[in-house]
Amino acid sequence: MKRWMAFLLVLCMAVGFAACSTPEAPTTDGTTPNVGNPGDPNAYYFTHKGTDIRLNGDMEAILKAIGEPKKYTEETSCAFTGLDKTYTYDSFVIQTYPKGDKDYVYMFWFLDDMVETPEGVKIGDTQAAVEAAYGTDAYNGKNAFITKKDNYSMTVILKDGVVSSIQYTIVIG
Amino acid sequence: MKKKSILILCASLAVCIALLWLLQALLMPKYMGSVKEGALIGEYYDNAGNNDVVFIGDCEVYENFSPITMWEEYGITSIIRGSAQQMIWQSYYLMEETFQYETPKVMVFNVLSMKYDTPQSTGDQTQREAYNRMTLDGMRWSDSKWNSVLASMTEEEKEWQGQWSYLFPLLRYHDRWSQLTAEDFQYLFKKDQVSDNGYLMQTGVKPYEDEHVQPPLVDYTFGENSYYYLDKMVELCKSHGTQLVLIKAPSLYPVWWDEWDQQMVEYAEKHDLLYVNLLETQEEIGIDWSKDTYDAGLHLNVYGAEKLASYFGRILVDECGVADHRGDDTVSAVWAEKVATYYARKEKLEAQS
Repeated sequence: MKRWMAFLLVLCMAVGFAACSTPEAPTTDGTTPNVGNPGDPNAYYFTHKGTDIRLNGDMEAILKAIGEPKKYTEETSCAFTGLDKTYTYDSFVIQTYPKGDKDYVYMFWFLDDMVETPEGVKIGDTQAAVEAAYGTDAYNGKNAFITKKDNYSMTVILKDGVVSSIQYTIVIG
Repeated sequence: MKKKSILILCASLAVCIALLWLLQALLMPKYMGSVKEGALIGEYYDNAGNNDVVFIGDCEVYENFSPITMWEEYGITSIIRGSAQQMIWQSYYLMEETFQYETPKVMVFNVLSMKYDTPQSTGDQTQREAYNRMTLDGMRWSDSKWNSVLASMTEEEKEWQGQWSYLFPLLRYHDRWSQLTAEDFQYLFKKDQVSDNGYLMQTGVKPYEDEHVQPPLVDYTFGENSYYYLDKMVELCKSHGTQLVLIKAPSLYPVWWDEWDQQMVEYAEKHDLLYVNLLETQEEIGIDWSKDTYDAGLHLNVYGAEKLASYFGRILVDECGVADHRGDDTVSAVWAEKVATYYARKEKLEAQS
């Protein structure tokens, strides 16, 4: 009898231990996930009107510095609460993620050659110019140069030998 | 004496198991409030059998097609097995499981999920797991569920042997005790039906105003794993004599790139499948994006879903030969109840919005 009682006790403890070893149960709060590190000074950035627009940057401060976008949209996602926001300016687009009651930069990409990367690369540049800025190691052998730093990524896409898109994003997953 | 001890032991074990079961039932999310999507998969079993058409896929099926409209206008019996951000391997195993309950004439699969080749490719893994739970926890136990669990787990889940928590969800939800609400007690033993044959109704209106922009991709080729499961769907449906129809619902975002569409066109041609890109026929369908969406173009509201069902029902009749069952008294009686529930829900939601 005592052995059986001990078995039951061990069973309950096993369930308890197994349960406690798991991460916190998933919830459905937030759309773009809260994986960012708001205010990270090492995140990729570009400069516009003297303001550094940086991944994980505070969007409210950016808006104060560079003004309102020409277009603004909000995106929801299936089942999840919270809003991802997209700010479209003449030469670039910024997408944010919500964290607490603030929005932070999750992604930005360039639309024309009026903005450039800190290394001086812009849309329309040749493959050679990109290679000079980021080296051959960043080339994927097909159509893009991709660099990574911490959980950030920069992608330069080439089409017909010239830069067609420049994108920066927080890498999640 | 020995017999008495065994009896006491058995009773103790039974009490222990019952308590654990009760605790598990209490701690598992009920999905009856703001996130109803998690309840959809479980609702299938009460409505399984005798459906001529089964829709399978992500939110683009359970938000965009009204089976009730297809019944009213064409006498089509249909059901949706949809869940939020349903992955293609989950769709495949749901399809496989569906054949244990019924053999529909047509299986309709929404191809947006082709863009996700692995659980990792969807991004944040915590969010991915939450989506997995919404699809997998509602499935009844079967080989299909187990295989779907194994195919769906995130790397983090694999690290802590998360598959067992789908068998015993208490292992995953043990820390929900501090988040319990009145809903958890109210729906402990019986849940409300949140959908109408898998369709999750929305009556709100939030017009689509501006294009949702997305940056171009480095590579538009769908992944090998996606094609692997699509191939399996083709074979599975063929083996049951069911016609597989591929669709792209008319949701305006996430962007459905032309390069993706071309791959589906070619795949359908190669496998002799019907592929319908409903984005291309929005005008014909009559969708008014200032009135027929509740979230600015991601999904249709009920008014849009009824228009789409009306349009797509005609395709099911004309191109797939789906039968009209309105002359069958037994079937009509069952659907009369569904229709009544649908309109009662619509009236209630309209009054709230």
